[in-house]
Amino acid sequence: MRFGGSHGFKGSVFPHDNDSALLLDVHRRGVPGREQMRRFPDEEEVDLLVVGCGAGGAVLAQRLARAGWRIVVLDRGPFWDPDEDWVSDEEGSHHLYWTDKRIVGGDDPVELGKNNSGHGVGGSMIHYAGYTPRFHPSDFETRTRDSVGADWPISYWELKSHYERVERELPVAGQHWPWGDPHSYPHGPHPISGAAERAWAGARAHGVEMRVGPVAIANGVFGNRPHCVYRGFCLQGCKVNAKASPLVTHVPDAIEHGVEIRADSMAVQIELDQASGRVAGVTYIEVETGRERFQRAAAVAVCGYSIESPRLLLHSTSKRYPHGLANTHDQVGRYVMVQGAPQVAGRFPELLRMYKAPPPEVSSEQFYETDEARGFARGFSIQTISPLPIGWAEHVLADGHRGTALREYMRDYNHWTVLGSLCELLPLPDNRVTLADEHDQFGMPVARFDYTQCENDRANIAFAKKTMHAIWETAGAQDVLTIDRYAHLVGGCRMGADAETSVIDSDHRVWEIPNLFACDGSVMPTQGSANPALTIMALASRLAERLTAKRVQTSRSLGSRTNRMTQDAAGI
Amino acid sequence: MARDFRQPDHLPKVRGDEGADPGELPRQRRGKTPQMYGRYPDYDCLEQAEHWDELTCKLVVDRVERVPELRFFGDDEAATLTIFCDVVLAQNAEPRIPVLAFVDQKLAEGRLDGYQYADMPDDCETWRLVARGLDESARTHGAESYAAALIDRQQEIMDAFAEGELSGGVWEQLDCKHAWSVVMRSVLAAFYSHPWAWNEIGFGGPAYPRGYARLGIGLSEAWEGAEAVDVNPGVDVKERGLE
Repeated sequence: MRFGGSHGFKGSVFPHDNDSALLLDVHRRGVPGREQMRRFPDEEEVDLLVVGCGAGGAVLAQRLARAGWRIVVLDRGPFWDPDEDWVSDEEGSHHLYWTDKRIVGGDDPVELGKNNSGHGVGGSMIHYAGYTPRFHPSDFETRTRDSVGADWPISYWELKSHYERVERELPVAGQHWPWGDPHSYPHGPHPISGAAERAWAGARAHGVEMRVGPVAIANGVFGNRPHCVYRGFCLQGCKVNAKASPLVTHVPDAIEHGVEIRADSMAVQIELDQASGRVAGVTYIEVETGRERFQRAAAVAVCGYSIESPRLLLHSTSKRYPHGLANTHDQVGRYVMVQGAPQVAGRFPELLRMYKAPPPEVSSEQFYETDEARGFARGFSIQTISPLPIGWAEHVLADGHRGTALREYMRDYNHWTVLGSLCELLPLPDNRVTLADEHDQFGMPVARFDYTQCENDRANIAFAKKTMHAIWETAGAQDVLTIDRYAHLVGGCRMGADAETSVIDSDHRVWEIPNLFACDGSVMPTQGSANPALTIMALASRLAERLTAKRVQTSRSLGSRTNRMTQDAAGI
Repeated sequence: MARDFRQPDHLPKVRGDEGADPGELPRQRRGKTPQMYGRYPDYDCLEQAEHWDELTCKLVVDRVERVPELRFFGDDEAATLTIFCDVVLAQNAEPRIPVLAFVDQKLAEGRLDGYQYADMPDDCETWRLVARGLDESARTHGAESYAAALIDRQQEIMDAFAEGELSGGVWEQLDCKHAWSVVMRSVLAAFYSHPWAWNEIGFGGPAYPRGYARLGIGLSEAWEGAEAVDVNPGVDVKERGLE
């Protein structure tokens, strides 16, 4: 199927090289063409085996499939059909989250599951809010600038063109963005709810600048993706196909270009060929039958996010790598980060009904960069958040209310509006994923994630809360309620300049192993105060460009591919 | 006494107590709310069910019409925990949302939340231990069980649980604060996923495929519930001599 021209409909800028939005069906939400999807036998050595079909894996597969690579993507969860599988209901969306057992420890344990862990084709972007800010240029060199965290082996400027490209594909809607590297978005800002309007007015009065967006929700029809209906259930999976996730932005085009997506397949071990020192494929288990299978591959990309990617590497032991692949220097699973995400709610006389419209609406990056006067390094962003009733109940409970008081604040739901912060917490070596003694239903050790904040982290979170309280005070809020929580996950297989302090190089290649890559949120050395989804996609886009332009070799595989192509060309 | 809900004087932190007496709220006139009071007396979200997609509609309506039988908890555990759920949600009269039935269903089906604190047993075991712990704590106060204790005693124990202050006996096997968070996660999810609770708080409910069109401050869709203000029907009827 081919679609001419670079423009879709009504003047919206349409991506040149991704037809996903046109391949979707206007009348159904599920991805068409799954029945005709190309299938590869296990014995066939595919060019690339991707583990995890989320923001990293799906983009990588889509890009490389267009360059002619033969690709299989494994995902532990189902291949979602929004019409059949999803509901407009908080509690009914439990199956969207990774709910296999994990152990959380440390002094400040991090809640996983619905908070930050996706499950199934599309990954965590199925249930993310939709905020898609870029990182700031400073995020890539916090060690040099602020003497904290780490410098990336690449700069913002190496990612910039990929940010732009992905923003067109999602597409991202929002006002012109004045912070970081100032830029505009392909789609204009969405209308906002009463709750966001109130919050914005409060911030403005307090001298805090906010902007509408950036959100990955098409503003207007985008290909065959309909307009948002502002129903407010972004965190429960978009039944409309208006909110971007890899399921609608990259998977359709990937399938069209011959990618096989093998859902319900749990990767348990990356197999090493002892003789060559290269990986030979992945052992995985069919979730429904429990059958163990092995897919051969010329190269493997681990894209399972910050808990599962380290877990898979740590579990892939061999005589040569008894502590897991890429773990010679004990780096796998370290420097896992979450963002401090305290929320402060303000109460107003009018009915604000915060359940209406998407929860991500207006945001500010005014406090993003280090300000020495604040007494800590790095900063935070502020965004509107609009919890649905269960989320609101958790907020009220966290402020210390139960029984009659809890019910009273709950009845007051429609008078409240909520600001949330994303505080940049620093990468620390002991905040790490390890393997616990317990095993899951696949016989694989479950992951344990320990997390403890440092002083800079605590100071940052406290300052962010103080700022949000001050905004509500200026705005004349009649009451405030506060909850401390975390958001997002990154790190665990970070990229760096040497094998002693990182897991992968700047081309996402695992140190020591020429045909093993990691490409997901786990690769980030720092996290900024930005939601990570867009950056994960941009990194995958960059890696794909380098692989297709042969600036990165997967050695033998590329050699054999080249030979094959030469043979094809010669008519052999 | 009638209230103007534009003002915050009914709120717990503003008043310095548990909040205004909910008995003063208007009685629910359409549909149901837990205990039949609420702020939106003429709003029943279930009347909108025909506008919801089939899957969501079935899921939500089943919560009212097909309350699951207890499978996970034994009778003693259920007796204790039913009372605990009602105390923590101030469900002191019928109609009550059968919170424990939904918690039980989730645990019986093994639908856990995807993480377990390192110092805790899994969520299923935590719930059983909490049931035993509540009974033990009640017995140290001279009651036969948590369910048999006086309401004030039940509340005291609940408060101590929330503050992480229960210790001894079964509680030594649990981190009290973590246990509170495990238990409350499920309790709140069960209660605030029920359409009666949505009626009470004026939540619009599922909105697919219809969506929302009137988003601004103070704006409502035609079908969204109006908040009761100023008028206490009892007083109003008397004052207007309509009685």
